[in-house]
Amino acid sequence: MPQSSTPKMSARNVNVFYGEKQAIQNVSIDVDTDNVTAFIGPSGCGKSTFLRTLNRMNDTVASARVEGEITLDGENIYSSGMDVVQLRARVGMVFQKPNPFPKSIYDNIAYGPRIHGLASAKADLDVIVESSLRRAGLWDEVKDRLKDSGTALSGGQQQRLCIGRAIAVEPEVILMDEPCSALDPIATAKIEELIHELRGRYAIVIVTHNMQQAARVSQRTAFFHLGTLVEYGSTSEIFTNPREDRTKDYITGRYG
Amino acid sequence: MNAPIPSTERRRAPTDWKGADMQKRIAARYSSERRFRMIGLTAILMSAGFLAFLLISMLHEGASGFTRTELAVRVDFPKAPIVIDPATLRGEGADAVLASVNWQALTDQAATGALGQDGVWIAPGAWLVMRDAVKADPSLLQKSVTLSLPASDDLDIAAKSDGSPEAEAAYARLDKAGIATRAVNWDFLTSSDATDPTQVGIWGAFKGSLLTMAVTLLLSFPVGVLAALYLEEYAPRNRWTDMIEVSINNLAAVPSIIFGLLGLAVFLNVMHLPRSAALVGGMTLALMTMPVIVIAGRNAIKAVPPSIRDAALGIGASPIQVVFHHVLPLALPGIMTGTIIGMARALGETAPLLMIGMRAFIASPPGGITDPATVLPVQIFLWSDEVSKGFVEKTSAAIIVLLLFLLSMNSIAIYLRNKFERRW
Repeated sequence: MPQSSTPKMSARNVNVFYGEKQAIQNVSIDVDTDNVTAFIGPSGCGKSTFLRTLNRMNDTVASARVEGEITLDGENIYSSGMDVVQLRARVGMVFQKPNPFPKSIYDNIAYGPRIHGLASAKADLDVIVESSLRRAGLWDEVKDRLKDSGTALSGGQQQRLCIGRAIAVEPEVILMDEPCSALDPIATAKIEELIHELRGRYAIVIVTHNMQQAARVSQRTAFFHLGTLVEYGSTSEIFTNPREDRTKDYITGRYG
Repeated sequence: MNAPIPSTERRRAPTDWKGADMQKRIAARYSSERRFRMIGLTAILMSAGFLAFLLISMLHEGASGFTRTELAVRVDFPKAPIVIDPATLRGEGADAVLASVNWQALTDQAATGALGQDGVWIAPGAWLVMRDAVKADPSLLQKSVTLSLPASDDLDIAAKSDGSPEAEAAYARLDKAGIATRAVNWDFLTSSDATDPTQVGIWGAFKGSLLTMAVTLLLSFPVGVLAALYLEEYAPRNRWTDMIEVSINNLAAVPSIIFGLLGLAVFLNVMHLPRSAALVGGMTLALMTMPVIVIAGRNAIKAVPPSIRDAALGIGASPIQVVFHHVLPLALPGIMTGTIIGMARALGETAPLLMIGMRAFIASPPGGITDPATVLPVQIFLWSDEVSKGFVEKTSAAIIVLLLFLLSMNSIAIYLRNKFERRW
């Protein structure tokens, strides 16, 4: 099992509440750049909730409350000194449903660099757009129609556009919340291939319902159940030799 | 896990889809469908009929309001008792020189000279035409020219419909002699209210409406949109915001005359703003329009998919960037629809403006938002109240102008809305 020296992000004893209801109980986990980490578990187990605490997207839910400590490069992201806007630029997110802006493909990619002031000249921006689209594996398909609306693309292309949009601000971590659940198998294969290529450059965390997908794309897997982290280890170990009975029951299809 | 089917279930006879009962049910379904379609069609035809009736009767009544009867009068200026050197009319003091002439007497004299007995059918304001002709071309003073002077109200009515017996007889005479003609009444589009129906114009009220609408839009649109944005995007959900929401919904339903009283009490009595002015009218109507814009704006903002907000937040846009880069542009078409509805209502509003004194007799178009002004619907109301028969067609003509104003305002708004509309 490849274990890198320092984790990019680590969570310690994290509890999440929605009002009175506790959604996450005492989760501790490390995420690093060399491995793709997959969160699996049945519906409602809290894996998406936990993912959203990693870039504080849960802040938008008025009743949500997070306890415990989550660090990015050793800095607590819930401390008062942490700027949420900058955090979300460093920890990008790709959502379940492709959600490109109703703007041109170019503007979709350029939006992040523009608002963060990463490029001042048009030429710099052009370079960022091209490299981001290349890394998202979309450049060859859209290079002749960068002015077209991002929403005119197919579902799979839209999702790769969203990945390109996240990449464009040079994040350190990319969180993916079931990025393929709205896509067909061919588009899914392309996204999975893309995840392989992005590994090592960004710390990638992917939430998925699809256990085969977790096995294919990730090196480390975390199994969540009823708001707790049941088991976390190398993907091959989880799928071939799980320590916990609940994990075994889930991956063999007894429930979920 | 096969539970035994209850015995009653098992005894159910197979459904007879072709039986008489079934056929009757199908026939009943079809006829109810037909009936519903007929009722819907009748409703549409009835409303279209009323609309057509309104438009046709307005056009029928009002079209003649844009024309006037004119009498050709020969004026021999060199023989007329005026002593003006044409050269003085080209310099600075032209207006003072013109003011020194008794144009009224001059016109009466010329009319009597040219038409004899029928000279009385010249409009009391005809001297204005003569003065303006001389002002425009001072060389006329050395010539004998034929001027088309407006006919009086009585003759005009006789020409267009049925007037008094004397007027009818006079018109028949003048028409036969080729002296009376029908011409477009440009003065109606360029002048303001007057006591004589041949002299009235719509421009003063039109400009008043324009200024009032500008004030209303400038006040209610930004305030309404910002209030809607704050309530939807920033305000916490609690008892206070619930109360504000209920209050706004109630405000939108408050009768307009009450806003007029509020304007009277606050803007005139407390703030001492100028009475009868477009500024106060616009402020009063803005109070009335704002709740409509807030409600429409909130609905439009709510309709923006949350995934767009997530997307923007997810790459590190600040809340204000999310609002102004994404939410507002997407909500704008909906906000504009609400604004159109609110502004259209404000444009047609009469009652609150009566309360703040915009029903005054205003004989010159307002120069700015603080000048005394009136607006189109109030002008219509005032003219419809006049005794003189000549005002009937003027009222209809003013209604046509108001409807055209409304139509062009809505067209611009619809054009803008379609321009901003984005699909995804």
